Amino acid sequence: MKDEIKIILDICDKILLKNVDHHLRINLKPNSTQFKTLKDEIISSELTKLLVKENLGGAGMSLTDIIPIVQLSAQYGTPIPFIETIISNFLLSELNIKPENDFITLTNKTENILIKKDKISGNFKSIPYLNLAKKILVETEIKNQKYIILFQKGGKLKLQKNFLSEPKFDLDASELEIISMMEKPEQMDVQNLLINVRSIQSFGAMEKILKLCIEYCSQRKQFGRTLSKFQMIQNHISEIALEVAASGASLSTLKNNNKNFYNLKNTAIPKIRTGIASGKVIALSHQVHGAMGFTKEYELSYFTKALNSWRNEFGNEIYWQNILGKLFLNQNKNLWEFLNH
Amino acid sequence: MTYFNFPNIEEDDNLKNLRNDVKSFLKTTFNSNNIKPQADAWMYSANPEFSKKLGEKGWLGMSFPKKYGGREKTMLERYVITEELLVAGAPVAAHWIADRQSGSQIIRYGTEEQKKEIIPKISSGECFFAIGMSEPDSGSDLASVKTFAKKTAEGWELTGRKIWSTGAHLSHYMIVLARTEKLDEKNRHSGLSQFLVNLKLPGVEINPIEDMTHQKHFNETVFNNVILNKDALLGEEGMGWQQVVGELALERSGPERFLSHYILLDNFISEFRYKMSEMGITSLGKIISELQTLRMMSFSIAWMIQEKKSPDVQAAFVKEAGNVFEKKLIETIREMSNLIPFEEWSSSLKSLFQDATLRIPANSLRGGTSEIMRGIISKQLGLR
Repeated sequence: MKDEIKIILDICDKILLKNVDHHLRINLKPNSTQFKTLKDEIISSELTKLLVKENLGGAGMSLTDIIPIVQLSAQYGTPIPFIETIISNFLLSELNIKPENDFITLTNKTENILIKKDKISGNFKSIPYLNLAKKILVETEIKNQKYIILFQKGGKLKLQKNFLSEPKFDLDASELEIISMMEKPEQMDVQNLLINVRSIQSFGAMEKILKLCIEYCSQRKQFGRTLSKFQMIQNHISEIALEVAASGASLSTLKNNNKNFYNLKNTAIPKIRTGIASGKVIALSHQVHGAMGFTKEYELSYFTKALNSWRNEFGNEIYWQNILGKLFLNQNKNLWEFLNH
Repeated sequence: MTYFNFPNIEEDDNLKNLRNDVKSFLKTTFNSNNIKPQADAWMYSANPEFSKKLGEKGWLGMSFPKKYGGREKTMLERYVITEELLVAGAPVAAHWIADRQSGSQIIRYGTEEQKKEIIPKISSGECFFAIGMSEPDSGSDLASVKTFAKKTAEGWELTGRKIWSTGAHLSHYMIVLARTEKLDEKNRHSGLSQFLVNLKLPGVEINPIEDMTHQKHFNETVFNNVILNKDALLGEEGMGWQQVVGELALERSGPERFLSHYILLDNFISEFRYKMSEMGITSLGKIISELQTLRMMSFSIAWMIQEKKSPDVQAAFVKEAGNVFEKKLIETIREMSNLIPFEEWSSSLKSLFQDATLRIPANSLRGGTSEIMRGIISKQLGLR
């Protein structure tokens, strides 16, 4: 790992350690001091500009560089649009637009979009943390051309019924003010980018669950000995560890080149592998924790809901298995050539 | 908080070119020698002539020093060659264990004479090894081995029985784990030593064991008061356990743990590429994701070994995940063929499928059971 990334990870770790706890996760209120302090520290540390080009005031890091930061944020269960803002600022920067000094959230799920002068109307779906952001970045298609549009929040917010670790909203917008609007470059695949962020976050959340399992079963006693001494519990936890390790390794498809984040095959592999792992990790970790894991007050509940939310976004792993299977079959290659290409 | 790291290692142009070289060599050699690809070839398909050809190409003893006839290449280069051999179903069983682990043990622990005597022959594909760990009463509990090497004025006298010794009937040597001191129940890992045993010595008896596919690839090897010279000791007396743990990491982390039956998958796709149902395609996508992930893990371990790290636990991950993958492979092939009755399969594909179905239960036993792998992982996590 580069020294520069180690330093940034350290800064990020200190901020999250100080400000994020389970109380924040389950009682998050936009006007609370805890939220405001966390937000101020993140924004003022410029962590949301890590992917912004240097000539636009950012750190000029690559998507690959920030994998450990996305991972760390997920390990902490950071319940704010921190990563959404990093990615939004990255997309703006790629279009040579200056980054924002506030939280932004984003979506690519839009319907009935209408642009009139400098105003945007339409229906926007599944926007994470819209309650905590003032601006929204969307990828949308108008007359066969895709655009990236940044606009002010407004209109009617509807909280979706979902797993709720990460509140998602639908927005019916009418004539909201457009801040920036640019044609989306062909190579920029926003959906794949967002899916890959989720795969990294899923890995981070599963690492946290593994840690919770180890801590819990090393403390709790039943039948006169700690749970960790029971072979069946050891088996469960080693299986969790195996799934976590495989998830981490599957992210290798994203490393070394920003283009890998847009590539369909490189996206599908970790999306599927982390999706499979998430299901197993959730089931086994709850088995290890007993009833305690099922309570709202215990941390496992948050990470369970986060994983369930993420693995079902943008099509679940079964949907992506089909895409990957067809991607291979539609190329005139044998499997080994496909894997090595 | 990352528990087990698998660093991302890129395959550079040198490795890609090497892949192509191996592919074209295999194509030519298979054609000119009428070699038929086989599944699980590293266990079941021995061809000493083919091993010799690989030696001539410089593709055995890849990482060994040149002064002992090795090639001084990287573990990543060795990995690439290994993958291509497995994927082709090449007849590699004769030299597999010597090249994978025995040679490395000798390089690491052997005397100068042992290295000079044996390593050049391993590198040329002319010296084969069997593993001497399990015994009739010592399977997963390896520390309980009873084979005993008694010190004599001339050297050692070896008595005992090893079992499941794959390829012993074709091998020149076995690295035998034996007690050199009586078992101390309070310190079970002490008093063990490794020996380099010539299998042609008087008193060595090799009895084949037929497996449920009617093949005789593994054996019972009996040592009836076998007289060994002093220089048969490999490494340090009493350090056998520490030595064998390193050997197991080499044994567990390679791509044979998930590519043993690759040719079944490949042949199925070739035959039914355009007949698969949506369910079949979905199952195929899953297995592609899992296979590629395993390759990344195993390749990363090859790099760790090259960098002199000790990826013992990572090796346990690959072994266990690879076993799970291969067991699922059979079910996946069945899912992929949900619209293609078995009767419509070619006879060669049927044969591959039947062999795999019967052989795969052994995968999570050989090289350490799943339970042992999970025990290693649990220990590393501080649970034991």
